[in-house]
Amino acid sequence: MRGKGAVAVVSRIQLQGLTRRFGAVTAVDDIGLDVADGEFLVLLGPSGCGKSTLLRMIAGLLPPSEGRLWLDDTDITHLPPQRRDVAMVFQSYALYPHLSVARNIGFPLRTRKRPRAEIKAKVAEVAATLGLTDLLDRKPRELSGGQRQRVALGRALVRDPGAFLMDEPLSNLDAKLRAGTRAEIAELHRRLRATTVYVTHDQVEAMTMATRIALLNEGRLEQLGTPSEVYDAPASVFAATFLGSPSMNVVDATVRAVDGALVAEAEGLRLSLGIDADIPDRPVRLGVRPEHLTLTSSGGQGIRAIVTAVENLGSEEVAHCDTGVSVRGPRPLGVVPGEAVTLSARPGHLHLFDHDSGRRLAWQAASVPQPV
Amino acid sequence: MVSGAFVEVPAPVRSREACAAGMTDTVPASPAPWQRVRRIAPPYLYLLPAVVLLIVWTYQPLAQTFVLSTYSWNLVPSTPMVDVGLGNYERLLSSPELGRSVWRTVIVILGMLPFTLVIPVAVALLTRRVRGRAQGVYRALVFAPMLVAPVAGAAVWQWLLDPSAGAVNRVLGTDVNWLNTAGTAQLSIIVITGWHVVGFAVLVVTAGLAGINPDYAAAAQIDGASRSQVTRWITVPLLSPTLAFLVLMTVLLSAQWTFPLIDTLTQGGPVGSTTNLYYLLWEYGFRSHDAGLAAAAGVLFFLGFIVVAALLTRLAERLSHHDD
Ligand SMILES: Nc1ncnc2c1ncn2[C@@H]1O[C@H](COP(=O)(O)OP(=O)(O)O)[C@@H](O)[C@H]1O
Ligand SMILES: [Mg+2]
Repeated sequence: MRGKGAVAVVSRIQLQGLTRRFGAVTAVDDIGLDVADGEFLVLLGPSGCGKSTLLRMIAGLLPPSEGRLWLDDTDITHLPPQRRDVAMVFQSYALYPHLSVARNIGFPLRTRKRPRAEIKAKVAEVAATLGLTDLLDRKPRELSGGQRQRVALGRALVRDPGAFLMDEPLSNLDAKLRAGTRAEIAELHRRLRATTVYVTHDQVEAMTMATRIALLNEGRLEQLGTPSEVYDAPASVFAATFLGSPSMNVVDATVRAVDGALVAEAEGLRLSLGIDADIPDRPVRLGVRPEHLTLTSSGGQGIRAIVTAVENLGSEEVAHCDTGVSVRGPRPLGVVPGEAVTLSARPGHLHLFDHDSGRRLAWQAASVPQPV
Repeated sequence: MVSGAFVEVPAPVRSREACAAGMTDTVPASPAPWQRVRRIAPPYLYLLPAVVLLIVWTYQPLAQTFVLSTYSWNLVPSTPMVDVGLGNYERLLSSPELGRSVWRTVIVILGMLPFTLVIPVAVALLTRRVRGRAQGVYRALVFAPMLVAPVAGAAVWQWLLDPSAGAVNRVLGTDVNWLNTAGTAQLSIIVITGWHVVGFAVLVVTAGLAGINPDYAAAAQIDGASRSQVTRWITVPLLSPTLAFLVLMTVLLSAQWTFPLIDTLTQGGPVGSTTNLYYLLWEYGFRSHDAGLAAAAGVLFFLGFIVVAALLTRLAERLSHHDD
C-alpha cells in the first residue's frame, strides 16, 4: 500500500464531455469532472441516473459515445481496462466463485506475473489489514456478506492502483455493518490518500465520506461541491430535495418588496428575506429545511399550517403539516395533530430557486454582492 | 428520608406461556381426519397423471425387462417362454462380442468428445461477439443439422461418401471406400454423428456462457487479465458445470445417437467394426430373435450406465460453483 516508502503516484482523473448513449437513451450526458489526486469523489444520484455507466466508462468497461478521459497526463479514452491503472469494487463484489479468498485477492498480481512468494506475502499483508487472515482458504460462497465485501476491497488494495472505483460497495450490507464499513473505508482513504471515485445513492454515505460530491440527475451533472456546499447551498430544487431527511420543504411563492424590504409571500405564508431592496414581483420556489423551521406563537409572521401527523425518531420529532411542509426538531416538539401552528425561519436559511428552471437564485446587490 | 427499592421491569409475556397459563380451553380442537386428507391431498392429485404415465411407460417396461432377462424366448407369441434363471447373463458375459462392443462404444464416446466439447467451446467463445440479426442467422446455421432426420442425413452422407463418385473422395483426392472398410467405417459414423449434434452442443455452451455473470470477466479485466487469461482463468472454469453436463450427455447418449446411422449405413459392419453396445443389443433382440439375451444385455447396460451417470453427476456437482 502507498505511503510505505514507495514513490507516491499522482493520480488525477479528468473527464471531458463524457457522454454515453444506449440507443435512444442518453445514460450519461456531457459530464465534465476534474478529480484531484487523493480526492474522494462521490457520484451521488437516484437509481438509474447513470452513475454506474459513468464509473464503467472510467474503468474502461464501456466505451464512451463522446468525450475524453485522462489519468494524469495520459489520454486513456481508448485504453482497455487492463491497461488502465485503476481498481474497482463491484456492487455484486464479483468475487471469482471458483477461487479461494487468497487466490481472489492475489488475482491482480497473478495477471501481472509476479513471483509466487511476492504474491503470497502481499496477500497476507492485505488480509491482515482487513482481518481476513483466517478466511484465506475459504471459497466466496462460504463467506458472509460483510466478509465478501472485505475480500472485494482486498482485491482492489493488493496492487497499489492509481485510483479506486467503487460502485455502491455497501448496498448489500445490513444497516449496522454498513455504518461500520463506511467508517473503515473512510479511514482507509485517509491512510492511503488514493484517488477514489465512489458511487452511491445513499446521501449519508455521500455526506460522511466525500471530499466532494458530484450530484447526478438523469445523466447530467446537477451540482459539484463539498458536502457542506451541496447541503447548505443546493444549486437546484433537485439538489435541495435529494439531500436531507425529510427532504427540504419547497413551495411556490412570490418575492415582493414591502416597505423597502423583500419578503416571500404565498397563501398562508410570509417570510422576510432580510434584504432591503425594491424589485418588481417575481415568482420563485422557496425552500427551507425542516430543521430550520421553528414553531412560534401563532399570529406572528411565518407559515401558518395545521399539524397532520407527528413522527417520533427517538432523539427528534418530525411534524407534518397540511400544506406539505414538515418541521424537525428535538423531541418533544410539543405539538399534536390538529393543532394550528405558525412556523418561522431565519432569512439565512431560506433558499430561492427560479420558478421555471429550478436553479438557485442568489441575491446580487447593485453595488456590493451579497448572497441570499 | 423516603425508603424504597428498585423493581425489575417485567419482560413482555410470551404467547406460549400465556397459552399455558389459562388459555388452554380456547385452543381449537384438531380438525376431523377427512378435513386433513382434503387439505393434504391436492398436491398428490396434481402429480398423479405424471406418475401414472411414468409407471406405465418407464417403470413397468423396466420391470418386465428384468423378468424377460431370466427367460429364453424367440419373440414369437405362440412359442413358450422357458425360465433359464441367470443363464442369459452367463451366455452374455462369456461371449467375446460383448467386450469388443464395449471397447467400440468407448471409442465412439472418445471420438464424439471433440464434437460435443472442443468444437462447441471454441465456436461459442469465438462467436460470442456476434450480435443482432447475424446472431440469429448463425445460430440457425449451426443448429440446422440437428433438425435433419438422422436417416435422411445418412442417405445424403452415403451419397457423399460413395467410393467412386462421392464428393468426399473428390475433395480429398482419395479413393477410399469409407463405409465398407473396417478402419474408416467407425470414423465415418463418428464424424456424421458429430455433424448432427455439434450444433446442439454449441447452443448448450452458448447458453452456459450467457448464464455467467459478466461482472466476473469485467472484474478480471480490471484486475489486469488479458483476453486469453480471462478465458482460461475465469470463463472456462465457470463454464465447467455446463461442460460436465455435455460430457455426461456424450457418455450416456453417444452410442444411441449413432444407432440410426449405423443401421442405415453399415448395419454394424464391415465385419462388426461398427457394432457398439446398442447395436449389439438390437442385433440380439431383432436379428437373432433372442429376447432373453437382449433383455439381459439391456439390464447390464442399464446398471452400467447408472454407475457411470452417478459418478459423472458427483463430479459435476463438485465442479459447480453455486454462483450467487
Ligand atoms: N447496457 C445497457 N443497455 C441499455 N440501457 C442501459 C444499459 N446500462 C444502463 N442503461 C440505462 O442507462 C441508465 C443509467 O443506468 P445506470 O448507470 O446503471 O444507473 P445507476 O447506476 O445510476 O442506477 C438507465 O436508464 C439504464 O436503463
Ligand atoms: Mg448502479
